Amino acid sequence: MRKTSLLAMAAGLVLALASQGAEAAEKLKIGFLPGVVDPFYQVMQLGVEKAAKDLGIDVVTQIPPTWGVEAQTPLLDAMVARGDLNYIITAPTDKDQMVGPLQAAVDHGIKVITVDTFLGDGNYGTGPVKFPLSYIGSDNTEGGRISARGLAKAIGGKGTVYINSTNPNVSSVEGREKGFKEEMAKDFPNIKVLGPDYNLDDANKATQQTAAVLAREPNLAGVFGTNVFSAQGAGAAVVNAGLGGNVQVVAYDATKQAMELMDKGTVSLVLAQKPFDMGYMAVMFAAADAAGVTSLPRRVETGFAIIDKENVKDPAVARFIYQVPGK
Amino acid sequence: MTERASRLAPSHAAAPPGALTPAQRVTLFLSRIWAWVFLGVMVLFFVVAVPLTTGGSVNFLTVRNSQNILVAIIPVLLLGLGQTFVIIAAGIDLSVGWVMSLASVLSALALRGAFNSGVPLFPSVLVGLAAGVGGAALVGFVNGVIIAKLKVPAFIVTLGTSFIVRGVAYLMSENTTVIGLPADIRAYGNDALIYHIGGEGGGLYFLHRPEVGGELLRRMDIILPYPVIVTGFVVAWAMFLLHRTQFGRHTYAIGGSMDAAVRSGIPVDRHIIELYMLSAATSGVAGFLSTLRYTAGSAVIGDPLLLSSIAAVIIGGVSMFGGAGTVIGTVIGALIIAVLTTGLVMLNVDAFWQFIVVGTVVIVAVLIDQSRDLIMARAGGRVRR
Repeated sequence: MRKTSLLAMAAGLVLALASQGAEAAEKLKIGFLPGVVDPFYQVMQLGVEKAAKDLGIDVVTQIPPTWGVEAQTPLLDAMVARGDLNYIITAPTDKDQMVGPLQAAVDHGIKVITVDTFLGDGNYGTGPVKFPLSYIGSDNTEGGRISARGLAKAIGGKGTVYINSTNPNVSSVEGREKGFKEEMAKDFPNIKVLGPDYNLDDANKATQQTAAVLAREPNLAGVFGTNVFSAQGAGAAVVNAGLGGNVQVVAYDATKQAMELMDKGTVSLVLAQKPFDMGYMAVMFAAADAAGVTSLPRRVETGFAIIDKENVKDPAVARFIYQVPGK
Repeated sequence: MTERASRLAPSHAAAPPGALTPAQRVTLFLSRIWAWVFLGVMVLFFVVAVPLTTGGSVNFLTVRNSQNILVAIIPVLLLGLGQTFVIIAAGIDLSVGWVMSLASVLSALALRGAFNSGVPLFPSVLVGLAAGVGGAALVGFVNGVIIAKLKVPAFIVTLGTSFIVRGVAYLMSENTTVIGLPADIRAYGNDALIYHIGGEGGGLYFLHRPEVGGELLRRMDIILPYPVIVTGFVVAWAMFLLHRTQFGRHTYAIGGSMDAAVRSGIPVDRHIIELYMLSAATSGVAGFLSTLRYTAGSAVIGDPLLLSSIAAVIIGGVSMFGGAGTVIGTVIGALIIAVLTTGLVMLNVDAFWQFIVVGTVVIVAVLIDQSRDLIMARAGGRVRR
C-alpha cells in the first residue's frame, strides 16, 4: 500500500516534470530584428518563419524603417522589455555601436544570435565581443574577392573600377570592400580601384554618386555595388548614362532588379547570398541551444551562389534569386 | 505678429472666466489636458491589449518597460527641450538632429584623445561632455547671431547650418563612426542606480550590477540608468528656467509679440542668440549621451530624430506661432511617441504604424490649439490672430 502510493507519487512527479519540460519547450520565443526593409532581409524572414513553424517556436518580428542604430535600438529595447523572449536574432547595424544595446539584452537573460552582420570582429570565441551565441552569414571578405575576380574578368583585367557601398563600420559591406581591394591589389595590378562612396542605404544617392564618378572618369570600366541599394543605384546610373554594356557592374545580392539588369547586359555578375539559410539556421541554433546542445559553432558561413548570364536559367542556381511571395 | 499677452504663461492662459459659457470653459479645459488624457488612454489600451494578444505572457505595465520607455525618450526629449524654448519664442531650429550628431562625434574624439593621453576615465568622460556640449553651443551661437543680427529667417538659417554641421561631422568622424573609445564608458551609458531582482534569491542592489546569471538575470530590473538621471536633471533645469526665471518670461514675451518685447526693453537680440545656444546645447547633451550608450561617436546618430522631436514639442502643446507652451508638455509629447513605439512592438504590429499615428496626433494637436485660440478670441477678444 505504502509502496504503491510512493510509486504513484514518483510517477506523478515525473509526469509533472515532464509536462513542465514540455511547457517550457512550447514557450520558446524568438525575436527577429533585421537591419532594414529590403528584399535580402525579407527572404531571411521567410527562413526564420519557416524554421519557427517547423520547430514549433513563436517569432516576434520587427523591421527598422531605416538603417542605423538610432532606428534599430528602440525596437530592440522594446523587444527586451516584453520580457518573454528567450533569443533575439538580429543583424547589428554597426559592429561597435550595437555592442552596448545588445549586451543590455544579454543582461536581461536573452541570448543573441547575429545574422548577416556581426559585432566586433565576428570571432565570438576569441575576439573582443564574446557574448553572442553565433554569427551566421556570408564570408564577406571572400565575397569581395569573388566579386573582384568576376569584375576583373568582365573588363579584361585592366582599367578603373569604382566601389559603391552603403554604410561604413557595418561588418558585412566592410568585409566586401576589403576583400575586393585586396584581391585587386594582389592579382590585378593594372586595375585601379576608386571609392568606396557610402550611400547610407539610399538607392537614389547611389545613383547620383555613380553618375558623378561616371562623369569624372570617362574611362570607368566597372562598378562594384556592395549590396542591394548600391547595386540598384549603380546599375541605374550606368543605364541612365547610356553606358549599359560598356561599364560592367558586379552586384552583391540577387534582387529582381539586379537580375533584370543582368538580362540587359549591364550587370555581368551577381553574388547571391543565402538569407533564407541564415534565417532558418539561426532559429535552429536557438532551438538547439535551448535543448542543451553545447557544441554549436560560433561562426557559420553560408556561402554564395554566383550567378551570371550562362547559369541564370539553371533552376539549381536560379532558386537563390531573392523572391518574396506577393512582392 | 500675434498678440498673445494673455498667454504669457500657462497659469495665465485662460481669459477671464466670466466671459465664457460653460461649454466653452469645458472645451478650454479639455484642450489644456488632452495630451495627458491621450497618453493615459493609450497606456490603458496597451495595458489591456498587450496581455490579450500575447495570451498573458507579456505585460505592458512592468518596471522593466517603464525603464525602457524612459531610456527611449532621451534623444527625442533632449532635442525637444531646447526646441520648446525656441518655438515658444516664435522661432524654429531645424539643425538639432545634426548638431546632436556633431556633438556625438566631438565628444567621442575628445574623450578618446583625453583617455589615450593618460587622463583617467571619469575626467575623460567630462572632457567629452564639455567638447560635445561646447561644440554644439558654438553652432547655436552662429545660428542665433545670423537670425538675430542679420535678420535671416530661422527656418533658412538652421536649415543651412544643419547641412554644414552634417558635413563637418562626417569629415571629423573618420567615416561616420568614431571607434576605439575605452570600453568602460559603456558603464556610464548603460548602467543604473538601482538593480532589483524580484522573488526568491533576489534583492536590491545600488550602483553596482549584481553578478548573477540564469533565471535571476532574467528577473533583474535595471532601474534609473544614468542617462535617464542626467536627462531628468536637464528637464528639471529647463522647467525652472522657463517657468521661474526672467529668461523664461522674456522667452514667452518675444514669442507673444516681438514689437512689445522690444518696446518693453527686453534685450531681444541677445536673448535670441541665447535661445539657439540653449537649443544646440540640449542637443549636445543628447549627442554626448549617445556616445556613452553606443561606446562610439556617430555622424549619423541624430539623422532620424529632428521630425520626432518637433512632433513631441507640438503634441505637447507648444504653439508654432509662439508665446505658448510648457516643458512638461514636451515631456508628455516625447512619452506619447515612445509609448506608441514600445506598445506596438509588444503587440507585434509593424513599427511603421507609429508614423501614421504620430502624424495624426500632431495635426490633431494643432487643431486643438487653434480651436482654443478661437474660443478665447470669441470670448474676450484678447487673443487675435
